[in-house]
Amino acid sequence: MTIAAEPLRIQGLAKQYGSVQAVRGIDLAVSAGEVFGFVGPNGAGKSTTIRCILDLLRPSAGEIRVFGRDPRHDGAAIRERLAYVPGELRLPERVTGRQFLQSIGRLRSRFERGRLEELAERFKLDLDRNIRHLSSGNRRKVSVLSAFLSDADLLILDEPTGGLDPLMQHEFLQLVRERREAGATVFLSSHILSEVQSVADRMAVLRAGKIVAQGTVNEVRGLARQRVEIWFETDAPEWLGRLAGIGEPAVDGRRFRAVLTGSARPLIDALAGQAISSILIQEPDLEEAFLGLYEEPDE
Amino acid sequence: MSGRAWELLAVPLRAARRAGLIWAVSIAALIVLTVAFYPSFRDSAGLDDLMAEIPEPLVDAFGLADFGTPAGFLRGNLYAVLVPLLLAVAGVLLMNGQTAVDEDSGRMEPYLAQPVTRASVFLGRVGGVLLWLLVIGVLMLAAQLISDEIFGLEIATDRIVATVVLCLLLGVLHAGVAALIAGWTGRPGVVLGIGMALAVAGYVVMALFPISDVLAPWRHVSPWDWALGGDPLTNATEVWRYLALGVPALVLIGLGAWTFGRRDVQAG
Repeated sequence: MTIAAEPLRIQGLAKQYGSVQAVRGIDLAVSAGEVFGFVGPNGAGKSTTIRCILDLLRPSAGEIRVFGRDPRHDGAAIRERLAYVPGELRLPERVTGRQFLQSIGRLRSRFERGRLEELAERFKLDLDRNIRHLSSGNRRKVSVLSAFLSDADLLILDEPTGGLDPLMQHEFLQLVRERREAGATVFLSSHILSEVQSVADRMAVLRAGKIVAQGTVNEVRGLARQRVEIWFETDAPEWLGRLAGIGEPAVDGRRFRAVLTGSARPLIDALAGQAISSILIQEPDLEEAFLGLYEEPDE
Repeated sequence: MSGRAWELLAVPLRAARRAGLIWAVSIAALIVLTVAFYPSFRDSAGLDDLMAEIPEPLVDAFGLADFGTPAGFLRGNLYAVLVPLLLAVAGVLLMNGQTAVDEDSGRMEPYLAQPVTRASVFLGRVGGVLLWLLVIGVLMLAAQLISDEIFGLEIATDRIVATVVLCLLLGVLHAGVAALIAGWTGRPGVVLGIGMALAVAGYVVMALFPISDVLAPWRHVSPWDWALGGDPLTNATEVWRYLALGVPALVLIGLGAWTFGRRDVQAG
């Protein structure tokens, strides 16, 4: 029996374009059968990292191993087991979706041609329209289909839901779960925290080319900041601002506003029995969610 | 050839079919239209008098020698400047389109993400373009031979074949230069700039350097001179001329594939 190599391990990865340091020392490991979220705002270095994994870019420093092999030297063999949805999506334009997908299928030894119609049906994609005439969302579907039809052991998805409507995003996340159940590993990059949270087992948060948080989704989620706004029936109590996890409190008549980090439990416990007319805990955008973790990049 | 190699060749063949057909039909049409004027041209008097008034260096520079003969007519109207230039431009544009333009726009990336090597994707693109150039050459040759027959332009078939092949190889050489620059830089503007500059410079060196006594010996550095310097419509063509164009083209293509495997793919 052979011990299966880890799907993905990255050590000390750095990538520099001229004077721009896009990735500044990334370490991560993805285990077989997990969905790994790779989260960060636009420009954080997610696509650069992914394009290094695919051997589209050559790292300036560090090491990448995909199933124990180096993409630089075994790129074609690695890509046999790997499928990819690029972030900056461009497809050949003078072919139909079906022609493009069949062409990709001819380049792979494992490709589930038989599922083409089924997946197109699920994604409400017209396979026989010229790609040139498809909306960006429908082009995205073509690319997503090419990855999911590839029967790959490792799916590398770079912002795969961009341009998809909520219903299709839901369908996509369902497909990710199905692939995981079938034993595949998924590396999912996104700038939308809730998307990764709903499907990933573990995640890393990337900012300005560095990982600022890594762990299980719950662990990382605990580090995120949420906006809290509470309307009381009488004047808001000042002492709320002194609770664990509460920062930047602001009391304005009956309204209390603050930023909550970590568990919401101390706050909820403290609010028990209070005369509250409404409460709002808001998912912040990613940049704000991990503001506390971000060190200023060296400009 | 494996199924994957076929597919890597089929993708650019399909993608370039519109441009390839437009080039092939346009050049063939140009040839037919030009030859169609031959009968009235042959019968018009005073042409030799006209030519006698043009200084001889200029006559040579624009390929107008013996303009009244079938070979002179074809050389002056088609094969001294226009057809070789069109083929060089077609070679650069088609190659640029299937390599640097596709890479720079990100459209090559879905293929590079498949279990194939970078060099095989690149060589598939090059192969597709070379096949389209071949189609252009075959159509050109057919158009020339058929219209010669129809309009009574009497010239030996082997001279026509040699001339078309030499022009085609000039196009292939320029496509090879484009392939090298595309493989090396991945930047469409650079490929286009260098490719076009080389086509024009090659012509200028061949056509105008002989006018100057100092520059005249340097005319032989031009690929145009290797292709057309022996006047292939009139004289039998030496084998080295085919090799001088074809072998460097293959070397340039090989270098392009090699260097393409050694750099970052453009982000699109």
